[in-house]
Amino acid sequence: MLHYVSMNRKKYNQFRVIVTFFVSAIVVLAVLSDSYLLSIAGVVTGLIFMALVRSKAKIKIDEREKTIREKAAQLTYAIFAPTLGIGAFLLLIPYQKISPVFAQGEFVYLESLGMIFAYLALFLITLYAISYYFLNRKFGGDVHE
Amino acid sequence: MNNKLKIYRAMHDLTQEQMADQIGVSRQTVIAIENNKYLPSLGLAFKISKLFGVAIEEIFTYKGGANES
Repeated sequence: MLHYVSMNRKKYNQFRVIVTFFVSAIVVLAVLSDSYLLSIAGVVTGLIFMALVRSKAKIKIDEREKTIREKAAQLTYAIFAPTLGIGAFLLLIPYQKISPVFAQGEFVYLESLGMIFAYLALFLITLYAISYYFLNRKFGGDVHE
Repeated sequence: MNNKLKIYRAMHDLTQEQMADQIGVSRQTVIAIENNKYLPSLGLAFKISKLFGVAIEEIFTYKGGANES
C-alpha cells in the first residue's frame, strides 16, 4: 500500500541535496574505477528516485515560481544562443589560410567543433521559433476579429 | 503598486503560511507580494480580495510608473 508522504518545500530541498550528494559520490567512484555503467546507473536511479519523491510530495509550484522560471529561461537563451553563434563563427574562420600552424595537429578539429556549434545554434533558434509560434497560437496571438 | 496585504492579514488574524495555503501559493510568494517584490496575477489578486471579502482596489493601489512589471 502506498502512503502519502507529507513533505514541504524545505524538506524536499534538503532531500534533493542529500540525493545529489550520493549520486555525485557514486559517479566519482564509478569514474575512478572505470565503471561507466555504474555512473549511468547511479544518475538514472537518482533521477527516477527524485521524480517519484516529487510526485508523492506534491510540491507546489505557484505563479511566482513560474515567472522566475520563465525569466531564467529567457536569460539563459539570451546568453547561450549568441555565445554559441559567436563561438561557431570564431571557430569557422579559416585559420589554416592565415597561418600554416593551424593546418596541423589538434587545430584541424577546430573547424569540426565550429560546425557542431553552428548546428547547435541553429537548432536552438529553430526550437525557440517553433515554441514561440505554438505558444503564440495557444494564447490567441493570431486571432483576427 | 502598493498593497495593504499585511494590514488585512493582521485584521483577519492569519499567518503568512495560513494565507498561502488558502490562496494556493507558497509562503515565499505571500512574503514577496507583501514587500512589493512581486506583482500578483489578476487571478491571484481576485483570490486575495475574495479571501478578505473586499474589492481588489481596497487592497491593491496602482501608483503607475515605468518600472511596474
